[in-house]
Amino acid sequence: MNLLEQNNEFLQKLYDTFIYDNRYMYLVNGLKTTLVITLFAVMLGMVIGFLVAIVRATHDKTGKLKILNFFAKIYLTVIRGTPVMVQLLIIYYVIFASVRIDKVLVGVLAFGINSGAYVAEIVRSGIMSVDGGQFEAGASLGLSYTRTMTYIILPQAFKNVLPALANECIVLLKETSVAGYIALEDLTKGGDIIRSVTYEAFLPLIAVALIYLIIVVGLSALVGKLERRLKKSDRG
Amino acid sequence: MKKTRIPAAFLVAAVVSISACGNTSVPVNTVNSVDDLKGKTIGTQLGTTGYILAGDIEGAKVEGYNKGADAIQALKQAKNDAVIIDMETAKAFVSKNSDLKILDEPFDNEEYSICYRIGDDELGKKLNEALAAIKADGTLDGIISHWIGDDADHASYVADSSITRTGTLTMATNAEFPPYESMENNEIVGIDVDMMRAICDKLGMELTIENMAFDSIITAVTSGKADVGVAGMSVTEDRLKNVNFTDGYATSMQAIVVRAK
Repeated sequence: MNLLEQNNEFLQKLYDTFIYDNRYMYLVNGLKTTLVITLFAVMLGMVIGFLVAIVRATHDKTGKLKILNFFAKIYLTVIRGTPVMVQLLIIYYVIFASVRIDKVLVGVLAFGINSGAYVAEIVRSGIMSVDGGQFEAGASLGLSYTRTMTYIILPQAFKNVLPALANECIVLLKETSVAGYIALEDLTKGGDIIRSVTYEAFLPLIAVALIYLIIVVGLSALVGKLERRLKKSDRG
Repeated sequence: MKKTRIPAAFLVAAVVSISACGNTSVPVNTVNSVDDLKGKTIGTQLGTTGYILAGDIEGAKVEGYNKGADAIQALKQAKNDAVIIDMETAKAFVSKNSDLKILDEPFDNEEYSICYRIGDDELGKKLNEALAAIKADGTLDGIISHWIGDDADHASYVADSSITRTGTLTMATNAEFPPYESMENNEIVGIDVDMMRAICDKLGMELTIENMAFDSIITAVTSGKADVGVAGMSVTEDRLKNVNFTDGYATSMQAIVVRAK
């Protein structure tokens, strides 16, 4: 086989994989779904995570909120102790049994609830990393615990954990790739669908991998920028 | 120790209450003919003939699950309206789920074949010869009668132990497809497995089985991870671009599975 023939064969495969029958649309639509799931799951995860972290940190610092802390602990144990794919299947087949529910919503719930547990531990470590003297300073200024938390501790904690939080978003984006298990057509499933009709593994898988990689690199760059901006205030 | 007991109790309570919600009633079946499929949500297994056929139905929303059993599970829970799957597999699923039924109107017939790498003509020739031999001496019919029909006793084919075997033949399959291949007692069994054992007896080769996702089988064969793909696979134009097929060994048709009520 000469070079030209090889080249033609590759072009033919490229055509079959992406152009023929508008197959690239599987990837485009899949990417949209992946991004939607990731975005809303991150938002849900942040909300859950911050609430749980505040409950846990408050309990650690003051010994209050015993019951809430107890439930938070169960949540963390169960969610961090089981694989996200199993959680996804449980939400789809067990919790929403006999209901026709939008699969994207199932994805958002599963990945959001999952991410919340990791965010909670990240944020808690951030709160605990803020020097205890800051709490005392708040108290000596006559600020209540809540006010000290919101105006003094959380802003500092947030800055400390920002890289870890961004990393969690990136992990979450990649973890959504198991969504295909409930026949949700995300980016990975889009590639799988192309693979199932062309029986050609190389191009769809590499394309899918590249798209994830580009998004992750882009996100990392954004986080780097944000970190540098936050650093400016350090000099003051 | 007490501390861990209380969360454990809560966990059990949570699981019990979750499973209790699983028993709510499901909506009634709305698909009674092929025409009714238009605009409905159809569950299939990704990469199967059913998936391709469902894609041609007007306005239908096609779900491609990784396993046929997942599509069936979703049907039971009313997450889709119908499942298109091979007839014998459909029968196996319906016999275990009294809340499901098969529509009388089937889809087109298809013939199952063994696929092998393009260019591996020597293997293809040997497979066809062996296949013809087990068809001629009644071995294949004997195997099929163990798995399909009223007298199916699920007895596996016993390989001839007196044969000296040289070399191995690796078969890629997806053991989620009864009666052609499925897991029983932690072993992959079924018509395809038995047939390949009989063929290997003729060829004097050792059979090894690789279990994988259905849509990975052809890729496994083209990339040399397996010599043959045997998984109730029918010949389609797209598949012919990537692999060769032997003569057919069984006919099947696509069935439409719906909720019984």
